[in-house]
Amino acid sequence: MKTKIFYKQILFYAGIIVAWQVIFVTHVIPSQDLPSPLQVGQLLFKETANGSLLYAIGTSMWRLVVGLIIAIVGGLILGIFMAKIDVVNQTIGSLMLGLQSIPSVAWVPLALLWFGPTDAGTIFVVVAGALFAISINTHSGIKNIPPTYIAAGRNMGASGLQLITNVMIPAALPYLISGFKQGWAYAWRGVIAAEIIFSIAGLGFLLNFGKHTNDISQVTGILIIIMIIGILVDGFVFKKLEAKILVRWGLLK
Amino acid sequence: MTKLQAKNIIKHFDHNGNSVVALDGVNLKVEEGDFICIVGPSGCGKSTFLNIIAGLEKPDSGEILLNDKPISDPGPDRTMVFQEGALFPWLKVIDNVEFGLKMAGIPKDERREISQRYLDMMQLTKFADSYTYQLSTGMKQRVAIARALAMDPEILLMDEPFAALDSQTRDLLLVELQLIWERTKKTIIFVTHNISESVILGNKVEIFKNRPSKIKKEILIDYRRPRLAEDVNLQKYYHEILQELKSEVMARSRDDLK
Repeated sequence: MKTKIFYKQILFYAGIIVAWQVIFVTHVIPSQDLPSPLQVGQLLFKETANGSLLYAIGTSMWRLVVGLIIAIVGGLILGIFMAKIDVVNQTIGSLMLGLQSIPSVAWVPLALLWFGPTDAGTIFVVVAGALFAISINTHSGIKNIPPTYIAAGRNMGASGLQLITNVMIPAALPYLISGFKQGWAYAWRGVIAAEIIFSIAGLGFLLNFGKHTNDISQVTGILIIIMIIGILVDGFVFKKLEAKILVRWGLLK
Repeated sequence: MTKLQAKNIIKHFDHNGNSVVALDGVNLKVEEGDFICIVGPSGCGKSTFLNIIAGLEKPDSGEILLNDKPISDPGPDRTMVFQEGALFPWLKVIDNVEFGLKMAGIPKDERREISQRYLDMMQLTKFADSYTYQLSTGMKQRVAIARALAMDPEILLMDEPFAALDSQTRDLLLVELQLIWERTKKTIIFVTHNISESVILGNKVEIFKNRPSKIKKEILIDYRRPRLAEDVNLQKYYHEILQELKSEVMARSRDDLK
């Protein structure tokens, strides 16, 4: 079943490449607007060989990971306070909902004014994009913990911080994971946007560089790379993690 | 020696803005090594009473004395086996059993030794590395009992632990629990709405009356063990309790008569 789906997908993507080549050869779209699959492949191969592509991926991912770690730690703490103290939820919680509705790219101008076109600026955009979604999901996760888990934890002598780290956080994990997933999605969009606008190293920079040099292969190639990373992180990291947790927590057969 | 004493426990609940009396002065004396069964209709407050002993809920007035000292907070000296769903799905069976020991800061080697002993006792050794979703309901309750015993509590509290089991599994565990009680000499308070369970397990059966609850009568059952569900000689105790409970039970649920 799984391999069957895999073959269908392979066939589909192969079909796209073939169609793409046909469009290129028949000049339906002029070649300065659409490169051939081969040109894009050659360019990506060249940039892989000279290391510039891997460097850009590494730079973007580094900013993303640092920002996400900050957002996860901050989001967990905020979310737990929101769940435990009503007045925090009524005040800060409502602010979180508002802030969460701001698209990550909208934080870029502020980041630029505060930090200039620096790593810190891009990391700020990542944190601003991910933090609020993570804290909101943490709040619902903690609120929805089956009371028996808490009772059992207290019954066996866990209290205070011990209860939070050993019972509440693991019990809320199914929710936390969907918060992290949402946070990652916003952060990923944010980091690329910041790199395009700041024009400092990274995948967003390569994309912007392609635009400046009128290099359609570069623009297309980097877009494909951004998509592939998205698929890998979403489809492999998060989907696998989620499936494992849902089964183990008895939420899915 | 008196292990535990409940003195005039009173507890109110807020129900749609009205104050409902759940426990109306419950008094109970538990001797060391007692196997006490508390039986009463669903919703009569017997689980609330157990939670108060565990320190998970606070009474409005009255006090609980454990070894003559008043208790208020939850503590590992009174571990509880919950009805179901209280095992931690993120931990392996063995880590579930060790949870309380870990909270108490007992070193890993020592924890392993203790948990192995109780896993053995509950015949769970080969499931040590399983996760709870891989276990049947009966196996889960075995783990829950092992987890509660591993803390070596002063008193073991059981809140309808067999209510969700099929009858074969339940009969088996009813026998095993008696053997464990004889072997460990633990003091046990076992809450149930099932009269035959209380007759099979208890050396004292406390009958709770319907809300507002208090203890209506105590029945002593001095009969050889292990007692089996099909033993006809237990019928007379069953009927005695049933008579006491009839008016309460009829009001609540006919299912409990099964």
